[in-house]
Formats: sequence, structure tokens, C-alpha cells
Amino acid sequence: MTKQIERISNEIKEFPKYLKDWAKTFKGGLTVLCLIGLFLMPLVTTSPYFLGIFILAMIYSIYAASWDFLAGFVGKVSFGQAIFFGLSGYITAASLKFIHYPWWGALIFGSLFAALVGLIIGLITLRLKGPYLALGTMVIAIILQKLFALYELKPILWGDEGISGIPPLSTNAIEVYYVILIFMIISFIVMIKLTKINIGIIFRSIRDDETGSDASGINTVKYKVIAFMISSIFAGIAGGLFAMFNRAVNPLIFQALYSFYPIVMAALGGIATISGAALGAFIFVFLGEIVRDLADPLFIFSIVLILIIRFASEGILKSALERLKEFWDILIGR
Amino acid sequence: MGVILEVKNLTKKFSGLTAVNDFSFEIKRGEFVGLIGPNGAGKTTIFNLISGFERPSSGKITFNGKDITNMKPFKIVNLGIARTFQIVRAFKFMTLLDNIKVSCLSTRGKELAKQYGIDESASSILAAVGLVDKARIPPVILPHGDLRKLQIGKALGTNPQLLLLDEPFSGLSHEEQQGITELIKKLHDDGVTVFMTGHVLRELMHLVPRVIAMNQGKYITEGPPQEVANNKIVLEAYLGKGSEQLA
Repeated sequence: MTKQIERISNEIKEFPKYLKDWAKTFKGGLTVLCLIGLFLMPLVTTSPYFLGIFILAMIYSIYAASWDFLAGFVGKVSFGQAIFFGLSGYITAASLKFIHYPWWGALIFGSLFAALVGLIIGLITLRLKGPYLALGTMVIAIILQKLFALYELKPILWGDEGISGIPPLSTNAIEVYYVILIFMIISFIVMIKLTKINIGIIFRSIRDDETGSDASGINTVKYKVIAFMISSIFAGIAGGLFAMFNRAVNPLIFQALYSFYPIVMAALGGIATISGAALGAFIFVFLGEIVRDLADPLFIFSIVLILIIRFASEGILKSALERLKEFWDILIGR
Repeated sequence: MGVILEVKNLTKKFSGLTAVNDFSFEIKRGEFVGLIGPNGAGKTTIFNLISGFERPSSGKITFNGKDITNMKPFKIVNLGIARTFQIVRAFKFMTLLDNIKVSCLSTRGKELAKQYGIDESASSILAAVGLVDKARIPPVILPHGDLRKLQIGKALGTNPQLLLLDEPFSGLSHEEQQGITELIKKLHDDGVTVFMTGHVLRELMHLVPRVIAMNQGKYITEGPPQEVANNKIVLEAYLGKGSEQLA
């Protein structure tokens, strides 16, 4: 025990140096630049519309990363990520409006509920593999959508109008922006760290070969359920923030579209990268705003996705980074 | 020298086909035993039954005095039975070091690794199987012989008492076979009980002091390889009836 404490304290002591070294690397430097850019954004514009676009992109980043964590690192492709997104949205909204929790309390409550649902769904879909898991999770999301919209259940599930008039996180758009930015940074650090420590090695072994992982003495059932819970916590954080940002939630949050969004975003940025999900989400939201008046965004995205699958099947993050690094090497004369 | 593995009246039926039929044998601690039989005799099925990947229709398997019939594969591994597969299995997109680390992270592997840490034990196992210079590359680009070594390394990570090797030589060149033979011999000298299959007798002959022969799911005989190889029924199983004149 004391050994562990010593190790952790050592790690904390080493951290500033580690951070400095990391910021000097190409990838680290780029990340730091992007983060500085995001932190300074409210200096450039304070328009609630523009900040809103960034806020939405950051919420979707967490959401897409939660899907990427499960699909890219544990190999469990869920087509029903909206289950956790939506349920946490509902719980957050209800506890804000009816129990008058503070926003952070409601968010924790919502995400923990999502984790519980993740545990249950992980257990019931345990034996489903590949397309059957995708179908199973998709069906659960559809059932939830119909259930929440059911007229007979209106007294307990608020019917198809859902909950509206949720108290906002803050009336100040800049404050909301910073809160969500911090949530995004913490979520990404935790998820990226989780893929790198020992448990991440176990997750990846399940992705690559579940039988082989079993033969290596790993309790695959336990780790699959843990992975589902981790993914659902972050989808839940995104869902809760999304409900607070929209100040309303209705059964349409469970629709297949919301399950496909994270898949499109993660595929845009690059699956099994986590940070690619952020890039994908930002492109998705920005492009969506730009093409909004021209055509249905989903139509455009379907085309973009086909192009990506054809020309950059590993996502655009990796190839973009490579190009940028080449350019960088030329600039500094290597 | 107690009995480490006892298999009693083991039977496995796949809808209509009896893959393993009333099979019984014993392996003593520290022994080095081979299981031979022509293709389709049921050798791999016996391994799958012992390691828990398939459930027997009837019969009993006891390991170190403990009943392990119907136990889950990962639990059996954590009791001390590790296996390799006839068709190589590896975590394709992870480095070799991470491949071994997975085994070191199992309940049993962790106990072994506690002293030196996971990284160090995984590297020492990689060194033991002779892959330490390739620790940072993924197995997709390895030659087949190295993949066989990796499999043994993955099994070693769980600190096994009994090692089940399913066709460790299949698909290897003569030199590669030599390397694996050396490795297995060394493991046996270190005190691991080894039970391996092979459908080509020649490879096993030099290696094991005792073989068990089977055909069509049934036990035929056991004994020193030379004796078994001259057994009439074994010859029949491999070469067909009336072949004793040929041999």
C-alpha cells in the first residue's frame, strides 16, 4: 500500500516535467495549441451563436469518444449509444427541473444512472457478437424511444413532449463554454489514460481475440461489462450536458440518428484514436452548420463518410497529422 | 510425484458424431507426455475439454485433486493449466510485449509478476522464448515460427504447472522445429509438466518418454514411443489395415 502511495506521489512530482516534455513533442505541441485556441475562443467572439456551435461540438466530442472507446478499444460496436446519452439526458433534466439539484449534482446523478444502465446492457448483450451486438443495442434504443413516447406512460415518462424549460447551467454563455471545455478535457484525459494503462491492454486483447484473451486467464465477461460501464458514463456525461445545453429533452433523443452521430464522427476522425473523435465531432458540427441551408446535413455526411471509407479508411486524423508533420519537418529544415 | 491431471471416462458428442469416446488417462507431476493419433482422431477436442473451451458430454477431469469439469476457461488457466492453439492465435494489433502482458495481468500471472512488476516479467518471458529484440512490433509481421514461440510465451505468462501444447510443430521448417524443441525441453527441465499433441510421430519420438495413442476418439495404448509405434492397432490407424508388412 505504502509502495503504491509512493509511486503515485512520485508520478505527481514528475508530472510537470512530463507535461513539458510532452508539449515539446509534435503531437503534444499540437494538442496544447488546440487547447490554447479553445481556451482563448471567448476572446475572439462572445456571440452565443458561435459559442453554441463550439459547445455542441465539445459535447459531441465526449459522446463520440465514448463510442470510440467501446468500439475501437474493446471491439464492441454499439449502434445504440443513444441509450446512455438519452437516459442520462432524461435523468439530468428531471433532477434539475423537479428535484432542483444543482447542475453538477444532476449531471453526476445522470451519468451514474447511465453507468448502471451500461452494466445491465453489458450483461444482457454479453453473448452477442459483431452485427448481433449492433442490432441488439439498436433495438433497445428503439424500444426506449417508443416507451418514452407512449401516451399511456405520460404521467411517469412525460410523453412525446419530453421535459422542457430545464434551468440552464448558467445564464452566461462564456461560463457554460468553459465548464463544458473542462468536462471535455477531463473526459479525454481519463479515456486516453484508460487505454494506455494495464486495463487498456486487457481491453485491446478482448478486441483482437476474445478466445485468446480467455486462454490468457482473463475474465472477459468482467472486463467487457466494465468497458460498457466506462463508455456509458462518458456517453452519460455528454447526454446530461446536451440536455442542459438544449434546455429540453424528448424521446427523439433515442432515435437511431443520435446513435449514428458518434459513429460518423469517430469514423471521420479515425477509429481507435479517442482524440480523433474530437476532430471528427468538430468537423461534423462545423460542416453541419455550413451546409445546413444547402442540403440535409445527413445527406452530406453520408457522402463524406463514403469518401473517407474509400480514401482514408483510418480516418482523417492520422493522415492529416502525417501531412502536417512532413510540412513541419520541412519548415524547421530537417 | 503425484498425479497432476486425471481424465476419467471423458466423452464428447457433437450432434451424432462422438469425437471423444470414454477416454481415460493420467499425467504425473513433472512428466512429459505426448498424445498422438491421425488427423481427426480427437486430440484437439481433448485439449479443448481439458482447458474448458468445450464442455464434455460425460466424464470427469481432475487437476491437482480438484474437479475442473465444466469450469470456465479463464478459471482453469488461473488454476495453472495453460494451453496453446493449433492455429496460431495472437493479439494482432498489439506489440509482442503487450501480448505477453495480457497473460501477466491474469489473476495467476499477477502473483508471479508481483515481485518484479508486470513490465519486467513480460520482458523476461519474451527473453526466455527468444523474442526480446522484437518486443515493440505487432505479431502481424512475424514469421510463423516466431508466432509459435509467442504462443508459448503467452502461456508462460500465466505461470502454468501444466502446459498443453496443441501441435506446436505444425507448419514449421526443420530449423524452426529445432528452436521450439529446445524451448519446450528447457521448460520441462524448469519443472513444468508438458502434455503435447502431434500427428507426425517422428517429431514426438525424440522428445517425449511416454505417448498416449488414440484413434477415432478412442484410447488405443500408451507407453514409450518405440513400443507404441510398433503397436499393430496404432499402425493400422495411421496406415490402414494390413500395413504391418510394410512397416
